[in-house]
Amino acid sequence: MLIRPSHQDHEAIRELELATGETLSDCYQCGKCTAGCPASMNTPPSVLIRKLKLGLYQQALDSESIWSCMACLTCSERCPKDVSPAAIIEGLKLIHLRELDPRADVGALGQEFLAQSTQQAVVSGFRKFI
Amino acid sequence: MSSEEHIHIPYYPGCTLKTKALGFERSAMDCARELGFEMNELKDWNCCGASFPLTDSNLMGLAGPTNVLIEAELHCKEHELDPRVITLCSFCYNTLKRTSHAFEKQPEKRTTLNAFLDREYKGTVKVEHYLEYLRDGLGFDKLAEMVKVDMSSFKVAPYYGCLLLKPGKEIGLDDPEEPTILHDFLDALGCTLVDFPGQVDCCGSYLVMREPEKAKALSNGIVDEASDYGAETIVTACPLCHSNLDKAQAANEGEGVPILYFTQLLAIALGLSTEEHKLEDNRVDPLAVITSCGAFDAAAKKSA
Repeated sequence: MLIRPSHQDHEAIRELELATGETLSDCYQCGKCTAGCPASMNTPPSVLIRKLKLGLYQQALDSESIWSCMACLTCSERCPKDVSPAAIIEGLKLIHLRELDPRADVGALGQEFLAQSTQQAVVSGFRKFI
Repeated sequence: MSSEEHIHIPYYPGCTLKTKALGFERSAMDCARELGFEMNELKDWNCCGASFPLTDSNLMGLAGPTNVLIEAELHCKEHELDPRVITLCSFCYNTLKRTSHAFEKQPEKRTTLNAFLDREYKGTVKVEHYLEYLRDGLGFDKLAEMVKVDMSSFKVAPYYGCLLLKPGKEIGLDDPEEPTILHDFLDALGCTLVDFPGQVDCCGSYLVMREPEKAKALSNGIVDEASDYGAETIVTACPLCHSNLDKAQAANEGEGVPILYFTQLLAIALGLSTEEHKLEDNRVDPLAVITSCGAFDAAAKKSA
């Protein structure tokens, strides 16, 4: 397959780098982030970054895996090149959320969940998914 | 020790400590008094925002923690204290400490936030975790001398989770991969330490909101591993870790590994009454473990 990213894809990826403060080209695909990731992602962090480096912006943005990130920061902590995959994932999430595309249904949470959960889970969840 | 001799430290509780984790706050307060320091709650505080924004451009997420740091600065000025604030919750600690670090590295962010909030944060506050104070302020050696109860038959696994330690470069509390602060704390209390590999694994965190089964599997993995290594209880410093690890065992009908806040264990070691420490809020009842060790009869009776 020949990959031909459009000008818009390159622009979007550049904007993602600016928004997150990360430099994708620093990643040399060692895979330590993926090895340590507890989220069992179909598209794990190193693959996501590889896609972005290839210009496959839409594939990265549409990846369902980004919504499983728990921001435990294991990937960022272990990166030998000081890249933060967690920040890139949060950047991709924000693009969805800023375009009013929430990933958790507040109405479906239910009283039991809200009554039992810690505030920090609810506030964090709202920040990451809505 | 009279309260005049006590060291006064401004304290930021955060939302969860006032509701779901009341036992964490109360036990910490009681232990502080016993150990010779007083935690003075900030007069006017708001939610820290719970999670520090990971993207560099998201300054809105810094507004909450900046307001908290301003309150701490004002409190310390009013009471003529060194600018500092002590916290208990890992999320609050992480958010406040990273915000303060961001301002050190990028002072222009502080200027922007000050302009936005129309208040002035001078950037002076040292954010401290309760554990950090025990280690660096009081000292674990001194803590060990103050322990009144023989804890040696209590097999405890330290569980750190993520946000108490990561990112290591910004938090700087301990080694983010091989921490020892909770180990040393348990040593000071005289507990039988159960070292287990999952001590810094993620409990599933806020994923309980979107993918509860995945979060539960992670929490169960941690509890099972600690149990396999011989732990009879697990201590943590995070209300969300506590909640996740405790609730993951809901199907066990009260059996399992009880999860305690490190301050609840500290209160037992100091021989304090645990009556107000909400031990009964746990799904997995810790009293059985406490009473099964002969030395804890006194503490258990006090809380009964």
